[in-house]
Amino acid sequence: MRLTRFLLRRTAQGILVVWGVITLVFLLRFITPGSTIDFVAPLDASPELRQRLAEDLGLNKPIYVQYADYIVNLLQLDMGNSLLKGRPASDVIFARLPATLELAIAATIVAILFSIPLGVISATRRHQPVDYGATGFSLIGISTPNFWLGIMLILIVGVNLGWLPTSRRIIGFGPALELLVFEQRPVGLRVWFEHILLPSITLGTYFTALITRLTRNGMLEELGEAYVEVTRAKGLPETLVKYKHVLRNTMIPIITVLGLQMGTLIGGAVITESVFNWPGLGTLIIDAINSRDWPLIQGSLIVIGVGFVVINIVVDALYMYFNPQVTFE
Amino acid sequence: MNWQRVWRSLRAEFGRSPMAKLGVVLILAVFLMAIFAPFLATTNPKAQDLSRANEPPVGFTDITEDTRLVDGERQTVTVTTRGTLEYPLGTNQLGQDMYSRLLYGARTSLLVGLLGTTIAALAGVSVGMVAGYYGGRVDDGLMRFADVMLAFPALVLAIALIGLLGPRAVDIPDPFVAAGLVSDMPETTVLPVTVTFVVALVNWVWFARVARGEALSVREKNYVKASRSLGASDWRLMLKHVLPNSLTPILVLATVQVAVIILLESALSFLGFSGTTLSWGFDISQGRDLLATSWWISTMPGLAIVVTVIGINLVGDWLRDALDPDIEGESGGGMG
Amino acid sequence: MSDDVILRVSDLSTRFFTTDGQVNAVESLSLEIKAGEVFGIVGESGSGKSVTARSLIRLIESPGRITEGSIEYRDADLADDLREDHPGAVDGEFVDLLAIPEQTHRGLRGTAFSMIFQDPESSFNPSLTVGEQIAEAVEVQRRASSNPRSTRARTRSSAYSLRSYAAAAVLPGRGYVSAESKDRAIELLQQVGIPDPEQRVDEYPHEYSGGMLQRAMVAQALAGEPDVLVADEPTTALDVTIQAQVLNLLREIQAETGMTILLITHNLGVIARMCDRVGVMYAGEIVERGSLGDVFDRPTHPYTQGLLGSIPDLDAAGGRLQPIGGNVPSLLDAEMGDRCYFADRCPKAMEECLHKPPDYPAAGTDDHEAKCYLADHPYDKSQALPEEYFEEGEGT
Repeated sequence: MRLTRFLLRRTAQGILVVWGVITLVFLLRFITPGSTIDFVAPLDASPELRQRLAEDLGLNKPIYVQYADYIVNLLQLDMGNSLLKGRPASDVIFARLPATLELAIAATIVAILFSIPLGVISATRRHQPVDYGATGFSLIGISTPNFWLGIMLILIVGVNLGWLPTSRRIIGFGPALELLVFEQRPVGLRVWFEHILLPSITLGTYFTALITRLTRNGMLEELGEAYVEVTRAKGLPETLVKYKHVLRNTMIPIITVLGLQMGTLIGGAVITESVFNWPGLGTLIIDAINSRDWPLIQGSLIVIGVGFVVINIVVDALYMYFNPQVTFE
Repeated sequence: MNWQRVWRSLRAEFGRSPMAKLGVVLILAVFLMAIFAPFLATTNPKAQDLSRANEPPVGFTDITEDTRLVDGERQTVTVTTRGTLEYPLGTNQLGQDMYSRLLYGARTSLLVGLLGTTIAALAGVSVGMVAGYYGGRVDDGLMRFADVMLAFPALVLAIALIGLLGPRAVDIPDPFVAAGLVSDMPETTVLPVTVTFVVALVNWVWFARVARGEALSVREKNYVKASRSLGASDWRLMLKHVLPNSLTPILVLATVQVAVIILLESALSFLGFSGTTLSWGFDISQGRDLLATSWWISTMPGLAIVVTVIGINLVGDWLRDALDPDIEGESGGGMG
Repeated sequence: MSDDVILRVSDLSTRFFTTDGQVNAVESLSLEIKAGEVFGIVGESGSGKSVTARSLIRLIESPGRITEGSIEYRDADLADDLREDHPGAVDGEFVDLLAIPEQTHRGLRGTAFSMIFQDPESSFNPSLTVGEQIAEAVEVQRRASSNPRSTRARTRSSAYSLRSYAAAAVLPGRGYVSAESKDRAIELLQQVGIPDPEQRVDEYPHEYSGGMLQRAMVAQALAGEPDVLVADEPTTALDVTIQAQVLNLLREIQAETGMTILLITHNLGVIARMCDRVGVMYAGEIVERGSLGDVFDRPTHPYTQGLLGSIPDLDAAGGRLQPIGGNVPSLLDAEMGDRCYFADRCPKAMEECLHKPPDYPAAGTDDHEAKCYLADHPYDKSQALPEEYFEEGEGT
């Protein structure tokens, strides 16, 4: 009930933000030096050809007409044709999307799986070796550029030890799963896992470190609250005191910070993809920028903006789940 | 704002915390490296010596196989290269000295980090203060805009902007070389202007949020209301009351932002969107294809980034613990 | 006489080992509490009252530690159960709560004794409903007493553990471990006089008023039908009118269930209204104890007299108009000498006070005692210490 109302409200806000993003992305083309037609037309194109190309692409119309056309087309999921690939930009983008989603989700899972237990252990064994270890790890983790971490992983795990592949994505999770379910061949899943392991560690390490730090500090703060003593006084086992009560409340500040850091996750995905030649949106957008493929640039930016808005709504919903005092009114 | 008290708590926390001391030492070291790079460098970081390419750091030995023409015939020979003191951290594929490049890379990182943070702070604090102080529609408008800015991952926006605007750079004359104190060193330090402005542009929102929050709370204080009723101008009130009260959180934020911007700059250089080749991120990208043979080219500058950012983060923790004691979660034994 | 004693504390010392030094928060404290009575501990803040309460429930956390003494609780069944495994902890029908394992002790929390705390607003977890939190206490107790004759059952409250929580978390109605515990929570809320308990049970703490929350906390403490209820400043954070309501509630419940209440407060009015017997606490010690009538009508210790504002011989105090001037001693070990801790604030300090006084029987009923030389000796003005004595001597 509370959640439904909240979701409706946030979706409305999100649409506004997406509209803002679309407008900014649209304007981006006009602040860029050089005319768009220069990038589209062959170098030796005749003035007539240039003229016709510009007309085809609608570049001669007044800017507000172009803007209106752009929005109308977008509403039909038409982002124009990729200049590089000659296919609809939306096709190119959505073909790349699963790779990025897989990477981001895998990294988030890596981060949550390791960080929260580590933070809890660190907080409950304060000033013991495991606490110093965890604190040191999280300091280094938040201070390491992830592209360099990726390269070091490639160097050590891939080149020196030769344990794991260091680039590309042979198979997606979906096809790998199909292979397992329909043909009982787990090899696809194994290949998928081997390829995604290093990239997801690379992308996840910063978040593991960050959440460990937040969990530890949050737990320490929360353990000083009066209700913890009350909970102990009523005879609750210590594990429940820590995990049900304290950790639950620690999640509130953690989620706040994570919500603010989601941009870092997406940015990190872009650069991680570049390090591992991961065929996702990140590598796509870099290629698109280098070749001034406008429809592709704009489309990817919008998809990333929408993704970011969606993630934030999810984060806010989680926040509300953990913190009943929030009403969003 | 009681500066004496701030200073006292900073000193007290510094005395308590070995990590704060480590952070200050690391940062001082990086600053000294950056400032005195021309004196500390052993070779011009841009000078190429292809005959000395891919030499390992001192103490390491590199064994490669090479195909050469010996007596008119192709033969595979084993080449053993020992690291020498002349290139203490080895050389890259152009035979440039990694150690000297590391020193000059510190200049780029710190320049962009400090300048970018300053611009972001000036812009963000101004916008945030105006929004928080006036409230109402001004506030709504500015904060909606900030939301849209936040809706964009900083790195992606930065890549898009730099990729499309083209990386521009300005040469700043090196005062030591100009004064004739050192020779054989680059005469200018390159400031990647586009990168600096773009990293500021994608990060000002954080400052705006903090400044706005502080302005909102200060605005309601009685002494501010009293001054206003006495006819003090808005600008005067902002400068005299709002700004000094926001300085502590802004200082803590700025420290962290220097680290964020240094990381962002290195990522941009790594992707080839910088505007200078004397950058840690750029060097890391250079060593990327040579990992199998010359591991040091990527490793060394990366370590430099990690050490610098750790130093800044430690100093940031120190400032935060000292200036905002609420953050440290101490469970006090209930005495009553 | 001693067969109706339910709690016997002997020589209890609780210390905090802080960076500033060792703090003796509770110092060789002894007292006996009888079944079914309301025993009050009164003292200024910083006198060690709350630490005493927490010591009884073994809730002292690092850097604090109970360093000495015993807290014996009378429970014949429990004593039988423990006699074999922990012979050192059992003395007749009494079980030394400090000598049993943490696990066993936890099984007693909520069932043998429970506690209500000072500030109701911060005593509830803000992100769980009040009902969930009370139901949790019910659940702990339900599992503990499923077989009351076995120690195992008492100690296996850990059966309500992470695993069952994890299971409950994914099922609807996750907060309540069972439907019974929710019903019981509603019942308890009704018992403490919360209107609309069926609806209130699903509300969060921030939706309750302070007085309501304190009632809810009483409900939570009653969930395990404890023998002893420790109430630490139960009304301090409340409005005066609500204070009275909560005290009445405690009175009613005590009358209904016959449980023992240990009431800790700095408020003499609360003591006078509620208690059968009183202990006056100062600097970690009980300096005077006895029935309410004895202590309030015939205060013997100069501190009690000062507290009650009834110093009979003001002139003899050498012009010290503030009966309890000065501060409560710091309780830092380094600064605590081997003398009566009240001496430097005492208007009647004498040479004898430079030694630590034992308990002297005082006028009144049998168990009226005071830790003061004057309880058993007449005040001799000629022995009085010069006024400046302590000001120079200790430099505090």
